[in-house]
Amino acid sequence: MRKIGTLAAALAAVLSPIAATGQSMTPMRGEVRSFTDAFAVRVFPGNPYDQRIRVEVHVYDQDFQPVAARITPSAFLLAGQASRPVLVVVPFDGATERKVRICTESIPFPSEQTQIRAQICGKFFGHRRS
Amino acid sequence: MKFFRAVIGAALLVACIDQTASAATGNVLFNGTITATCTITINSNGTMTVSTNLQSLSSHNAGGSAGSAQVDTTGGVTLSVDPVTTTTVPASDVTATTWTPTFATSGAQTIAETGTATALTVPGTSTVAVNLAGTKGGSNRFSAGNYQATVTLRCE
Repeated sequence: MRKIGTLAAALAAVLSPIAATGQSMTPMRGEVRSFTDAFAVRVFPGNPYDQRIRVEVHVYDQDFQPVAARITPSAFLLAGQASRPVLVVVPFDGATERKVRICTESIPFPSEQTQIRAQICGKFFGHRRS
Repeated sequence: MKFFRAVIGAALLVACIDQTASAATGNVLFNGTITATCTITINSNGTMTVSTNLQSLSSHNAGGSAGSAQVDTTGGVTLSVDPVTTTTVPASDVTATTWTPTFATSGAQTIAETGTATALTVPGTSTVAVNLAGTKGGSNRFSAGNYQATVTLRCE
């Protein structure tokens, strides 16, 4: 039953945005209502480059402290100009609502003196319904 | 009888000639919502060079170059750089270094060089110049060897 609720929340989150080609991550905003002790968001990291890159997805709280969320998959190789869905399940940890940042990070090119790590963060607000 | 039918038929045709076809009209509404989006494409990484007094290792110094990135956005997002936490320094460098990342944008929106988070309100493509400066205080100096630092450019 809990899984069904989580899945329903994930579907609710995924139905509103439409993934567009070339986005690094979409959606970047979201509000999810859940009847369980966790809420789910499906995001679509995208690769704007023509070559394959390694992408990692992380979840942070409002102070950029890591959140123990379930990310599937959390790290993967993404083909050029491609995007893929990533399911993020965030626990409420006893709270009735929770704001998190879901961030897509690209791994910088190696062997340069000053590397730039690109990070796209979306802000998501989960409400727990009893 | 035949004549009567012909008359009725002709009368009907005459009655229909002046009639315009009636048509109903209706409006079809289209709605679309665009949420904030942002794409960062790294064009090039940066290069730092050391100052003549050996207390500054910066992309601003002569011979250095800023890193470059392209940001495509709908607006409604914030651009920022994180404090530098990942660095590689030569083993001979045992003194503290203060790293200061900054960025500036041109193109769709112009932002003067800053280290603080700044809103990107104008939709379009902006080019971001990312700079990094490392400084040493007192009598500390940068030493020979390879330095490397990672700057996180964030759009949220």
